[in-house]
Amino acid sequence: MSNYGKIFFIVLYALFAYSCTPAEQEANPTLSEIPESAPTFNADDVGEALEITTTHWTNERPIGDGEGPVTDEMLLEPQSAAAGRNWIQFGGDYSNNRHSPIEQLSVENVDNLKFEWGFPSGTLGQFSVSPLVYDGIMYVTTSYNRLMALDARTGQMYWRYDHQQPEDLRLCCGPANRGASIHGDKIFMATLDSRIMAFDRFSGEKLWDSEIIEYFRGFSATSAPLIVKDLAIIGVGGGEFGIRGFFDAYNINTGERVWRHYTVPAEGEPGYETWSGNSYETGGAPAWTIGTYDAELNLVYWTTGNPSPDWNGDARLGDNLFSDSVLAINPDTGERVWYYQFTPHDVWDYDGNSHLFQADIVEDGETTKALVQANRNGFFYAINRTNGEFIRATSYMEQLNWADSMEPNGRPVVNPDAMPNEEPTFRVCPGIFGGMNGAVSGSLNPELGLAFIPVIESCQLMQKGISMHVEGQLFFGGLPIPVDLEPDEDGNWAAYGHISAVDYSTGDIAWRYHDPQPMMAGTLSTAGGLVFTGSQTGHAIGLDAETGEVVWRKRLGGGVRSQPIAYELDGEAYVAIASGNFQSIAGLAGGDVSIPEGGQLYVFKLDN
Amino acid sequence: MTTIKKLVSLSCLPILLIGCGSQSEMPSKADEFLSDPIAVQRGRSIFVGTCAGYCHKLTPEPTDAVYLFDCEWKHGGTDQQIFNTVTNGVPDTRMIAFGSNFPEGEDDLWKVIAFLKSNRTECA
Repeated sequence: MSNYGKIFFIVLYALFAYSCTPAEQEANPTLSEIPESAPTFNADDVGEALEITTTHWTNERPIGDGEGPVTDEMLLEPQSAAAGRNWIQFGGDYSNNRHSPIEQLSVENVDNLKFEWGFPSGTLGQFSVSPLVYDGIMYVTTSYNRLMALDARTGQMYWRYDHQQPEDLRLCCGPANRGASIHGDKIFMATLDSRIMAFDRFSGEKLWDSEIIEYFRGFSATSAPLIVKDLAIIGVGGGEFGIRGFFDAYNINTGERVWRHYTVPAEGEPGYETWSGNSYETGGAPAWTIGTYDAELNLVYWTTGNPSPDWNGDARLGDNLFSDSVLAINPDTGERVWYYQFTPHDVWDYDGNSHLFQADIVEDGETTKALVQANRNGFFYAINRTNGEFIRATSYMEQLNWADSMEPNGRPVVNPDAMPNEEPTFRVCPGIFGGMNGAVSGSLNPELGLAFIPVIESCQLMQKGISMHVEGQLFFGGLPIPVDLEPDEDGNWAAYGHISAVDYSTGDIAWRYHDPQPMMAGTLSTAGGLVFTGSQTGHAIGLDAETGEVVWRKRLGGGVRSQPIAYELDGEAYVAIASGNFQSIAGLAGGDVSIPEGGQLYVFKLDN
Repeated sequence: MTTIKKLVSLSCLPILLIGCGSQSEMPSKADEFLSDPIAVQRGRSIFVGTCAGYCHKLTPEPTDAVYLFDCEWKHGGTDQQIFNTVTNGVPDTRMIAFGSNFPEGEDDLWKVIAFLKSNRTECA
């Protein structure tokens, strides 16, 4: 931190020396006397002079409330055991339900939730973070992989690391990072240039830094790692680059890779027969979102994305296993135990990577340990998480036409009109972003039996073309043509969004909150009966979890793409939500691109 | 920022002059394909499937996607210059060298260029 002061004074001195030479001090001319040829001081010069070259600020002071290291037991506890004080996993706890046990914040008093502090990201692109809070400290990641430790009560910064990125990153969809993870006294972050690294949570010193794979071959990492035992598990993006997808486990103490699980089988492995020719070599199936862990079953659940190329499946005939699937993995070995494929032979970019929830479904008096998910393809799935058996899938969309129905075994019956072609005229719903997109999280309230799903209603034409694979180059095989972005005579765009409350035991829709633009932020559920989210119009929104009625609304400015969290310190309840959009993707989905980019974290506190 | 805009404008001018001025001077294999609708259609399919998903677009958009149907060429706008740019790539940019990876060899790239020319705005 002291470096800030040094740099500030050096810059000030330099500016003073530059602008006030002795000669000028002796005879300071008036403006009218300055000849045209005199040097002027323009904005570019200021930018250059103020350039800060430091990229890592560490901390030497004691910080935190003395809670000690994060243990395996803490991670295994349901979030309710911590009484809502902390938020130590991306999904709140291993259930991934993002359901805060905080009860004091309710529909009755949410009006008293007031702005407490804010903090800038200093970066452009989507500010997608789900912050961590532990020991009175908040750990925040930004777009382009800045990582900062802040006082969770006041926002005071303790340390900061700005990861230095190469200029030729291979990104399909913006410079996002969705959060860090924590274990012991370490903080873990994966990076856009396909690295994973660990930091001392007090000082910010980097402890290890491992390359996952060469980024320039088409890889990136945007998710928070999942900590299971002594492993940090992280998957890669690259489904638009014709990668062969995988997710890895790294030893949290050394950074050494323990295992790698490929999501596309090699020649001779089970599932290889579902790829024609040698298409498996560039089959995609990225693993770019975080999984979840059931300690009782000792299974890690991880989802996979689209097969490559996206919109032309002619060269990859077959079901293309294990793309668009959920895989159950033994974390001790990295071996697959079972799988279920949501969208066989996907030609619509229906990544299966949407947020997974662990939930118990009660039906006919029997309880089933299930995984439930609002898939990007528009169906809300329930899968037996013990053995992978399909339970049910129902549409959670208001527009779904790529499939006509669902077979009893969970295989969708494709509408032939929705297949991409060279001269498309059929408006395919959902469009390429979903449904619910994997870039955002949902939440689930087990007391109400509802999952709160952010939904994009934005359909597109799907145009097919000829593609060729060049390593590190985009590998699309076509493109989506937006058709819902023109405003009607009333100024309303055809693309819109909603938060849908889905009864996860039946698939029924309990309520919907509609917003004029696609919902592309995560949701947070609280035991006090609230659902928090954000909109692309730049608002933080609080909903009544039982009715969907708006009970709290604050303008943040930038479009919201983050995952809100709640925490409790000194008996007081806080809600954190970041704003900051990535215009290219937002615009293609139907968001307002006229709102400037730029990230800002907002923290609200319940004023008791 | 004003200085940057001026520099960009000045640096673009010779490119425009070179690119547009020489297009009609040097017939290429793309010109042969221009009169073959099937060849132009194949060029379009390759452009749609390989180029137009993100980096380039079929219509002008307010993004950083470089639009290839006008007269502004950063790296040379003659048929041969376009051929060379696609084949060799542009260092330190997203434009990676496609080399000889086209499914039906060089003819495929000439057909893409023919498609670009068939839809190009007339250069002044």
